[in-house]
This record gives sequence, structure tokens and C-alpha cells, in this order.
Amino acid sequence: MVQQHSTRDWFGQYGITDEVLRAVLAEATRHGADDADLYFEHSISTAVGLSDRQVNRAHTTIDLGMGVRVVVGDQVGYAYTEDLSLASLKKAAATASEIARHATGRPVIAPVRLQLPDYYPVSRHWEDVDLAERVPLVRDWEARAFDRDSRVHKVEVSLADTDKHVLIARADGTIVADYRPMTRAYLAITALEGDRRETGSYNVAARGDLSYYDADRQSRLVERSVDRALQSLAAGSPPAGEMPVVMAAGSSGILLHEAIGHGMEADFNRKAISIYSDKMNKRIAPDEVTIVDDGTLPGARGSINCDDEASATEKTVLVQNGTLRSYLHDRISARHYGVDPTGSGRRESFRHPVLPRMRATYMEPGPHAPADIIKSVKKGLYCETFANGSVQIGAGDFAFYVRHGYLIEDGKLTKPVKDVNLIGNGPRVLESIEMVGNDLEIDEGGWTCGKDGQGVPVSQGMPTIKVANLSVGGGRQ
Amino acid sequence: MSAEDLMDLAQRVVRYAEKLGADEVSCTVSEGSHVTIQRRGGKVEQATEATTRGLSLAVLCDDRYSSNGTSDLRPEALEPFVKRAVESTKFLEPDPARRQADGALCGRGVDAETLDQDDPYWYERTAGDRADYAEALENALTALHTPDVISSAVYSADGRSHTIRVMSNGFSGEDEGAWFAAGGEMTLQEGEKRPESAAYYAQRYFTDLPSIDAIAAEIVKRTRERLGAKPIETGLYPMILPGRSAGRILGAFAGPLSGGALHQGRSCMADMLGKTIGSKHFTIIDDPTIPRGLGSRPWDGDGFRSRVRTIVEAGVLKEYNIGLYHARKMGIEPTSGGRSNWVIPPGPRSVEAIAKDHPKAIEVTGFLGGNSNGATGDFSLGIRGVLWENGEPTQSLSEMNVTGNITTLFEKLVEVANDPWVHSSVRSPTLLFEDVQFSGT
Repeated sequence: MVQQHSTRDWFGQYGITDEVLRAVLAEATRHGADDADLYFEHSISTAVGLSDRQVNRAHTTIDLGMGVRVVVGDQVGYAYTEDLSLASLKKAAATASEIARHATGRPVIAPVRLQLPDYYPVSRHWEDVDLAERVPLVRDWEARAFDRDSRVHKVEVSLADTDKHVLIARADGTIVADYRPMTRAYLAITALEGDRRETGSYNVAARGDLSYYDADRQSRLVERSVDRALQSLAAGSPPAGEMPVVMAAGSSGILLHEAIGHGMEADFNRKAISIYSDKMNKRIAPDEVTIVDDGTLPGARGSINCDDEASATEKTVLVQNGTLRSYLHDRISARHYGVDPTGSGRRESFRHPVLPRMRATYMEPGPHAPADIIKSVKKGLYCETFANGSVQIGAGDFAFYVRHGYLIEDGKLTKPVKDVNLIGNGPRVLESIEMVGNDLEIDEGGWTCGKDGQGVPVSQGMPTIKVANLSVGGGRQ
Repeated sequence: MSAEDLMDLAQRVVRYAEKLGADEVSCTVSEGSHVTIQRRGGKVEQATEATTRGLSLAVLCDDRYSSNGTSDLRPEALEPFVKRAVESTKFLEPDPARRQADGALCGRGVDAETLDQDDPYWYERTAGDRADYAEALENALTALHTPDVISSAVYSADGRSHTIRVMSNGFSGEDEGAWFAAGGEMTLQEGEKRPESAAYYAQRYFTDLPSIDAIAAEIVKRTRERLGAKPIETGLYPMILPGRSAGRILGAFAGPLSGGALHQGRSCMADMLGKTIGSKHFTIIDDPTIPRGLGSRPWDGDGFRSRVRTIVEAGVLKEYNIGLYHARKMGIEPTSGGRSNWVIPPGPRSVEAIAKDHPKAIEVTGFLGGNSNGATGDFSLGIRGVLWENGEPTQSLSEMNVTGNITTLFEKLVEVANDPWVHSSVRSPTLLFEDVQFSGT
């Protein structure tokens, strides 16, 4: 087992000592500040790709740098540099400190190194895995995809991974270091049948090492990517208009992510621009609905041992039995509301300031069997797989794109459908959740959440649920 | 780093990779800086400033290809980086289609003076100028506040980048330019809802941005038109697609035209070259030579000289976007691997005049989610919009989708307005389509 926190001295090789941290923080707080932090990051990302039956490309990216943030009230000064020389670090700190010209002073105290939990233990770092070990995997997945069905026309495969080390030093003396692995495998299939051409894909992602790709997962990756392409060959467009919708267990968590998740990020509420800004401790959904955002799921893509401003992560209950209980806080919003941070302060990289973000968002299971939920719908839509979503924070309107699904007719799944956008209003949809299934599933796909130009890895999950009404962007009446 | 330092670094990396056994090398070194100021509630909410740099390296060893990037430009780090790039190729299979273009075909297709991308004002702009501009923009927006405004914010940014590219085929080039951006957002209280909207602008020259008062007025207009938003009945409507919004639909059109989609059999536009795919009003010019254009460039991704290309002419598909790699895979000549500026020539009439011809039409002022399938052309997009009745905006629209197929949508293009949008690399006027499927109630 690799020592998770061997990373604590990782940045020593770049000359980053406690003395350097103290000196840079002193520069950052020279005009005073309510808070300040330094975020060092070093990552090595590798990807191999297969197309045209050849493993014919490899890509490596090395990223190294430091971001410095100075906070005064709710004002943020931010600067970053890719040059870790002391002079460059202090220059960036001085730039960020300009925000605080009129603030009161605050001393920098002695560093205190903290130990973190380990939600993503690994046996090997990706840096120690030779490309020669990756290539056979990719080739095998391609071969199995072609073997699965004669209608498979083209197969593209990629296997990507990252070793990321971060070091966070705060003006209050806290220093934490974390090693954050990530891997993602992706298969894209083009299938042909007569004149019809369709595509399908599947991907799996986690904070894990090479052992993440066990036999079951590899089989799922191949089978589901092929089956999705074949399912599309037979699929049509659903009718357009409003109708009842059943969301399948797993990646349907995208509904939570868009309908409520973003609206619970406390920066939007602190500024009073979220539709949930005045709904704390109010009922917003039926009793069956409990929604959490969890940074502690073992190995999950959205898990973090600590957030990106060195706060402990946790399982945060957003909605408990239908009542709104907590926003997702970074330190700025936590100070604003007088509560503890929820460990939700995240950033894409050292080039980006911290924002309140989701981690793994899911709904706790309810009492209903999935079959009973489908059976309860006379005419509606069953949504199985998803591509992307979006939300307007203030109006509460949100949308998500369904790649694959089925019509529901007289309580049964009938015709396959595909490529349709669904749109609704978050609070109204939450109120109209009529049944919650007993089959919670955390999706294993590689979701990335975008906000203010920053992408962070997230997870999502859902039991099967039934929504009374959503607008379906279908193609025929 | 100076231009000479950047060039020297790129040349040294190319030579070192060749020394390690690479047959062909392409190295790009870039350095840039940017400043962003965001104001809300009468004070600076966030100020960000950075100087950034990076190096990318593509190597071909025995026809085996790897691409690599790093932000760690220390000499002691670059050496192992280049070694790793070369060594990583030995596990791969040969792919001779990756070979570089004939160097004689590469170079600058348009001179820097013509492109005119480097506003001298960028060098003169001080921290005080930036702070004053952001404050003036916020003051202009605040002056337009009504009692129902919950919050508003403004944003001002500028930056400059400098890029050097060196290739084994003898090509080397230098490109640099500045940019400026400004805009803002506003949120209103409307019962339980808090409708919001925003307006953003970008230009190469500071003086090409709209005035502060115009930006503030547009933020307010776009936000107030969200009041009372609701869906209307599902059905076929004429669609008014403003130039600001056209990029999303044209993006769905561009995807299937790419060499990657065509080569991988994922394009609904396969075998459509020379065929009619739209009405006579549908023309797209790819023009990388537009002075101060946000998508202008001296060369393309393969290093080929930039040139003006006709993609669609009066509804007939004239050219794909096929870079060298996919062209070789398909055994055809390359065109260019990506879009530069896409220009749709304007028509003679205003949007208002066009709208009067239609008892009802839906103006799509923005999109919300949605996606498209490049293999089939199907698209389904959430929209925000405005219902026009007999030439007048009458109802704000939300919770609606627009659905169709990109291979047939442009057959329904019946008129192009006279108002080209110039704050994007997609320079489209407002487009009017007939009989488009919208879903609402």
C-alpha cells in the first residue's frame, strides 16, 4: 500500500519549505486579510488512445503551479504562477494582496501540519504504471467490442489517468497535503445497420489505481458501450410536450445536480441570487425525499480527503425528508452564515479561486420497487442514460439531455427513444416527485461539473424516481 | 520571456527531441497574462491577475506519435519531459498519417498588420484604468436599477498572449495579440422566482467594445425580458435566431463537418459535398483573415497558411473542415482542420421588419442545456426566448425545447437580417427559420 500522505513533502523537491510558505503568506497578508491561502499543485496526466484498430496515440500533460488567495470579507484577490521560485511566489502574493489595502492586519502564525482521512487508498501511483501495461487493456476492450456484435463498425478507446499532488497552506498556520489519483476509461462505438448509423458510449471513472479495472468493470465498459449504440439503432424520438417521467437509478442523479444541487451552493445564496435563497428549513419536496452531497464515498470521482481550502470534507444533508437543511459552504459563505464549512470549497486547478461546489450528490433510497414505479405510469417517458445538464440559478429552470430511454405505455417499457432534452423548474419538479425507489445506485461515470469557467470532477446517484410532469423536447406530436 | 527567448526555447526543445531519436517534432511555446475584475454591491468582488506560460510538444518516432504539454519550463524539468515524450512512443503502433505537412505549404497566410490583433492600448492600460473602467460600468448599471433588482455584477477583463511555433519541416512562426472583454449580470425578484440574465462582449481592440452605457442597457434589457416567462403550447413556429445565439446551432452544424467525425463514420454530413443542404439564403464563409477578428489566425493547426474558404454557398455544401491527419486517413486532400471566423453574409432587412411578416414567431435569446447527435443530425435544446406577435415582443418564454435535425434545419432558413454579430468568431446576423418544432405545454 502506498503511503497516502507521502505527498506531504512532495513539493520539497521544488524548494517549497515551511520557511517559504511563511514568507509567501506574509507577503499575501502584508496589507492584512480575513483569510489567505496558498494552493500548490503538481499533476502528471497520461492518456493512451486507440482508433482504426491501432493503439496509435499517447498524451502526457504536466501541470505545476501555485495559486494565492487573499480574502477580505467577501472580497477576493487572486493570482497564480507556474514559476515556483520564491521571487515569483512573492510577486503573485503581492498582487493578490492588493485587494486588502484597507483591511486590518493579521499575523501569520507557525505552520501546523494536519493528517487527513484516506477515502482513496491506492496500491500504486499511476506514475509507476508503464504504458506497456495500459496498452493491452485498451486493445482487449476494442477486440471484445467488435466480438460482441457484427453491427459494430468503429471502436474508439481511451484510458486516461492522473497523479495529482496538492499542498494547501493557510494564513492560520494550517498545512495539509493530499495525493489525488484519478482514472477514466471510455469506449465510443459506431454501429451500422442498413443505411442507419448510430453511436453509443460508456465510461467509468474513479479515484483509484489500475486495480479499479476489475473483470466485472471491464465487461460492463464493453457491453454497455456496444449495447447503447445498438439500442440507438432501434430508437426514435418521443412525442413533444409535458408528460410523466420515470428516471432510472444511477446517472439520473443529474436531475438533482441541476434541479437543486447548484442552487444549494452557498455563494449563490449569500448573494441572494438562487431560487433557494429564502427556503432554509422550509419544505421543498415530499417526505420521501432526502438529498445529500457526500465527499466521503470510497474511491468516488467526487470524493476528496479535504477540500481545496483545507476544510474537512463530510456527508452534507441538503434536504432531509423534504425539508431544506443546509447549503454547500466554502469558508467565505460559512463566515457569512455563521456556520462551519461543509468541505465544499473546490477549484479546477491552481489557476482558479475556490468556489462552493458539489462532490457526490444523490438521493437516499425510498420505499418503492422500481417495477411498481414504471407500472404506475399510463403514458410517459423512462430516462435511462444522460449526456449533460444545465440550470438557471435564479429562475430555477433546468434541463438535462437524455441519450437513451423508453416510452412507457400502460405501465410497460415499449419503444426505445433517444436524444431528447428535458426541461423543468427545480422547485416545482422537487415538489412533484411522486415515488422514490429502493434501488439507490451511485453512477460510475466520469462526470465533470462546470461553474464560472471551472470544471471539477463529481459523482451523482439516484434511486428510480417518478416525476409527475416534465417538458420533453421530442420531435413529433 | 522575450520573443527571442521563446523562440530559442522552442528551437532547443525541437533539437533535443531530434537528438533523442524523434524523426519529426512540433513545439509550441506560449506566454500570456490576464487581469479580471468583478464588481458587485459597489465594491470589487474578485480581482484576478496572472502571467501564464506553457509548452506543447508533438513527436513522431518511427511513425509512432505522442503529444505532450507542460507548464514546468525549468531547464532541469524540460529534459526529462522531452525524454518521456520520445520514450512513450515506443509502446505505440505506427501511424504514418501523423507525419507533418510539406514545409513549403506552411507559413503565414496573412501578415500581422492585416490581422491587427495587438491593440497598443493594452500596453498603456494601468491598474487604475482597469479599476476605473469596472467601477464606471457598475455605476452605469446601478443607475438603471429598479426596485425589483436583487443583485447585479459587472465584469471587465483583458489579456494578451504570445505564441511561438517551430516544426521539423522548417516552419517557424510567431503570433501575438490582445483581447478585451466586458459585461455583467442582473437578478430580479418576481414572486418566488429570481429571473436572471447577462450580456458579455469581447473584442481585440478596446475601442471596439460597446460603450459602458450600451453594455449596461443591454444587461437590463436581457434581464427584464425574462419577467413573466412561461412555456406556450407545443407546436411548429417560425424561429428568430439572433446572431448572439446562432453559435450554438452552427456548432451543431460544424461538428459533423469535421474530419474526425467523417473519418470515424460519425457524421450525418458524409457524402453531402456538392449537395444542397439548405435554402438559397444559407452561406457560410470561413475567413481567418478578418482584421481584429476573434477567430482570425495566420496559420491553421497543421501549420498550413490561412486562406478564406467557402463552406456553404447558397445552400450547397462546398467544403468540409478536414485537417491533414484525417485527410490522409481518408485518402483525400486536406482543407483545414478547424473553424476560424464563420461569416454569414447579412441580408437587407431589419429583424423588426422581418418579424412583422409573421403573426407569431419565437425568438431564441439563449439556450439551456440540450445536445446534438452528429451521426444523425438530431438536436434537442432547451431555450429561453420571447414570443413575437405581428412584429411585437409579447411574451417571455421559458421551460421550452427546440428540436430538429441539422441536415434539414437550414432548408427552413427563409431570411437573413442585416445585423451581423461581431463579438464572436461566429459572425452571424439574425436568422429566420420557418416551421421549427418547439415543445412547451
